Amino acid sequence: MVRGYRINGVKRKKTEKAEDDRSFEEEEEKEVIVDEEREKGGKDEEEEVQLFGIPTGPIDQKAKSGIIFVLERASLEVAKVGKTYQILNCDDHATYLKKKNRDPAAYRPDIIHQALLAVLDSPLNKAGRLKAVYVQTEKNVLIRVNPHVRIPRTIKRFCGLMVQLLQKLSIRATNGPDILLRVVKNPVTRHLPIDSRRIGLSYSSPKVVQLHDYVTDAKDDVNLVFVVGAMAHGKITADYIDDFISVSEYPLSAACCIGRICNVVERKWNIL
Amino acid sequence: MSVLYSSFSPYYQNLLLQRHYLYNRSWRKKTLLKEYKQSGKSSIFLDKRIGERDENLGEFDKAILRFQRERQTQLKRKSRYNLSDGEVDDLAIPPTGALSTHDDFEDQISEDGDEDATGEDANISIHQNNERTPLEMSSLPEDENRQKTRKEVMEEIISKSKFYKAEKAQQKEDDENLMDKLNTDFTSLAQSDGFLSLLQPTKMQALKAILNKSSSRELGKEKLSSCAAEVPKEDEVDPYDKLVKSMALDMRARPSDRTKTPEEIAEEERQCLISLEEARKKRMLPTGDSDIEDDSGDEEFDTSSSRKLKSISGDDLGDSFEHEEETPKRGWVDEILEGKEHDESESEDESSVSESESDQDDSDLGNTQSVKDWEQSDDDNLHSDKEGEETPGEEGFQEEKNETHIKIQRLNAEKKNSNLGSGGDLPFVIDAPSSLKELSSLLENRPDDEVIEAIRRIRACNAITLAAENRKKMQIFYGLLLQYFAVLANSKPLNFKKINLLVGPLMEMNSETPYFAAICAQQRLVKMQNQLCDDLKHTGKHSWPSFKTLCLLRLWSMIYPCSDFSHVVMTPACLLMSEYLMRCPVTSSQDIVVGTFLCSMILAVAKQSHKFFPEAITFLRALLMSAADDKEKLKQHSWLEGTCAMELMLQPWLRLSDHVCDLQPLNLFRLIDMPANAPFFSSDGYRAGILVSVTETLRGFINTYEGLISFPEIFSSVSALLHDLIKQEYMPDLVVSSMQEIIQRIEEKSIEHQKLRQPLQMRKQKPVPIKEFNPKFEENFVKGRDYDPDRERAERRKLERQMKRETKGAARELRKDNYFLFEVKAKEKALEEEERAEKYGKAMAFLQEQEHAFKSGQLGKGRKRRRFCV
Repeated sequence: MVRGYRINGVKRKKTEKAEDDRSFEEEEEKEVIVDEEREKGGKDEEEEVQLFGIPTGPIDQKAKSGIIFVLERASLEVAKVGKTYQILNCDDHATYLKKKNRDPAAYRPDIIHQALLAVLDSPLNKAGRLKAVYVQTEKNVLIRVNPHVRIPRTIKRFCGLMVQLLQKLSIRATNGPDILLRVVKNPVTRHLPIDSRRIGLSYSSPKVVQLHDYVTDAKDDVNLVFVVGAMAHGKITADYIDDFISVSEYPLSAACCIGRICNVVERKWNIL
Repeated sequence: MSVLYSSFSPYYQNLLLQRHYLYNRSWRKKTLLKEYKQSGKSSIFLDKRIGERDENLGEFDKAILRFQRERQTQLKRKSRYNLSDGEVDDLAIPPTGALSTHDDFEDQISEDGDEDATGEDANISIHQNNERTPLEMSSLPEDENRQKTRKEVMEEIISKSKFYKAEKAQQKEDDENLMDKLNTDFTSLAQSDGFLSLLQPTKMQALKAILNKSSSRELGKEKLSSCAAEVPKEDEVDPYDKLVKSMALDMRARPSDRTKTPEEIAEEERQCLISLEEARKKRMLPTGDSDIEDDSGDEEFDTSSSRKLKSISGDDLGDSFEHEEETPKRGWVDEILEGKEHDESESEDESSVSESESDQDDSDLGNTQSVKDWEQSDDDNLHSDKEGEETPGEEGFQEEKNETHIKIQRLNAEKKNSNLGSGGDLPFVIDAPSSLKELSSLLENRPDDEVIEAIRRIRACNAITLAAENRKKMQIFYGLLLQYFAVLANSKPLNFKKINLLVGPLMEMNSETPYFAAICAQQRLVKMQNQLCDDLKHTGKHSWPSFKTLCLLRLWSMIYPCSDFSHVVMTPACLLMSEYLMRCPVTSSQDIVVGTFLCSMILAVAKQSHKFFPEAITFLRALLMSAADDKEKLKQHSWLEGTCAMELMLQPWLRLSDHVCDLQPLNLFRLIDMPANAPFFSSDGYRAGILVSVTETLRGFINTYEGLISFPEIFSSVSALLHDLIKQEYMPDLVVSSMQEIIQRIEEKSIEHQKLRQPLQMRKQKPVPIKEFNPKFEENFVKGRDYDPDRERAERRKLERQMKRETKGAARELRKDNYFLFEVKAKEKALEEEERAEKYGKAMAFLQEQEHAFKSGQLGKGRKRRRFCV
């Protein structure tokens, strides 16, 4: 009468894989086109390099590698407040949280909102170099965010979106068939590419680096995974991180930190 | 039913299980089990009692239905003869509640029936109660009312009267308060300036009296409050009453006259002028008609006898002084015509001659020619050609005009002698002149302010708004005035003040007849251009514009908006100015002056329109080059091989040969009068002055063009040239400093521009960003609700879901039915088995007993026993 869970899982996985395959194929196609163009451009450039004073356009030779962001410990918790389900936040639900003996200061969905905006609005993303964004909530729900998504600009709408996501587990696009947000299986490592370097950012880390040098030193064919905390207090404790670094001598907000990373990577890849 | 089961349900504490249990028991057992049991049977017992199959009916309702049926059958005629059973009689009208006790199923409804009955009884009693209560309710209050009226009516009346009194007192108080407020408001209003200004002076006294009174009354009122018995004196007349009475006698205020239309204003002005004119004539009459004639005689013959001081003639000495005084008043001319000189020896003479000729022609031919006169330029070289070229429409237009004009002229013919005197008083009513001769005779020898006044009066008398034919008159007059303007500019010596004064009326009239004015300007421009072409054909002929042309160009640039992208007059005018600069070869120092002036005029245009005039900048550059020492070095700047500018720059027109001690600004007016080979033109002062004006104009151009993208390219060569010039000796400090400023400005701006320049990009198009998708989500999301905007699809989906649910439910029910039947069958089987086993056991037991008995020998002899054993 009722389907077994296992069957369901397998089916889901299949569809996911199919989707992935499709998207990969598309990307590959795009890349192929880009490559062809680049080759053409390259020939032209070879001729034009001799010409004096004509600047050449930005050439990205490392289109293969990309950037992945993991936003850890995002506070996205749905609760039934009154009659409706809402994302808990410290402003609107202070009394509710106190009644439930929770710390209101920990409920900050605006941080993850800002962080997502910072990632997805960056030229890095517009140039198509952002591979994926994963959000890990405090309740250990892992959300994969499609880089094509346009996050709602207001926190209220964002919360509405997240409520629906956490109940329906996936959000589609209004103007396309793609699934833009989806709750996926833990742990996040199963979604990260193999040749990836996972970099955790933490103020507490003793390794304070000049991020620009750090990124330029990294190999070109390695995918960089930046793990940034989206919580108000505390630090990220993820066991899959290869390297903990601190990019500033001051504690930074998540959005600011992401902005820094994006800037550096854009500079590295000549994205204007 | 459920109540029945609930009493012995094992799950009466767990609601869910209980429901399940009951559901199974009640429903399946009733239907499926019965069906199953009857499936193997041939005869069926059907319960056909009334209402037995209806689930909704309760026991009580069923009973009632049955009872009704019974009564109906009894009441039938047939059944009347049936013998009664005896007990039926009791049922005649039994209490409904008791009926259930007589039910057929007494044994089933044992305790419940009693309960029901009691419940019914209780119900009935309640009903009875209810029936009674409304009666009581209705009767009781009436009684009370009747009782209370006697007492309460009086009380009510008393309370009402009290209430009204209180209300009255309240209202009175309110009225007083309002009155006080009104008083204070009035006093404040009366003291305000705005009200006083509106008031007539006679009322002021009364008002003041009122004010005093009101203040005193206030005091009095306080007294009143203290001793209420006191009454204000009645016989004392209230100033307020006085004022009101006087107001009644006053004239009513009338609405002011409506705003006058332009026509009415014009008419009024004209009437005023006519009345003034009449008054003037009356004044003159007593002295006799001979005076007028004398006056007219004076006009004609003694032009410069009595009004010598006012008149302007060529050989007048005081004239130049007058002009010197006037120069500071000049507006734009002084500003721009700095260091300008005019040489019109030939052309002007020609023009003046031709003018006089044409005037003579006019007088000879009567008025036919007069109209054409205003349209044609005073240079009548192309006169005959023009006539042929003119379009027939225009000619018709002119002819019409001529006709009307002739009429008017005839009418005014007698008046003319008296009115249009140059020597006499300016008449108030002046008809619009129809030829230049008339105009010049009218305006001749008049002081400048009278000229303007005369124009004003002509315009007032012949305002376009007054009559339709006035438009033509005014058009003619505009043309004449323009011509007069040109003539003035050509006259020697120049009367700048008069020219300047004419600009105002010309501008105003231009707005009255814009179309005609534009045509005039265009015609003149065409003629100028033609003349330029002709002059250029004959090499060596002087081709630079005359002072008259300059004045006209300047006039148009003032009248018409320079900032228009394309303008019927300004665009050709600008092109013409550029052409002058581009094509006219510089042959004398005066040409340089004219060129510089043209440059400055172009600058004035460019400042507004921000159009680029390369000719002006090239000319300025060439002028600067001509000031340079080292021609060889300058050749590298040159790219104008073979042009006029090149010729200009190769000759040392402006090269300084000595130190300039006093650098004074050049006066255009002075330069105009100088002959071409005056010694001043070879002096260093002149050259330095030209350099100063050139640098200033250049500075203006730089400021105007600093927004152009190609600014560095345009002005880099200029700055290089200036660098060279600065190094030269004899350069005056003022020039050097201004040049340095210009160089600095050019460099600053060039750097700024070059910083903003983006390198050429390989691919013009911007990189395409990845596509963005909007997530689809709802506000106030509720899980399970269908948010499909397509209602039909949503509905269908809902139905599909429902169907799925129903099929599932049906399958489930079938499954449960099967289980149930299986259970029943199994039970039956088990029972059967048990029975069989029992029977078997019994049989076995019997047999064993028999065997035991046999073996023990209870049943017979030994022989048989043996056989039995086998």
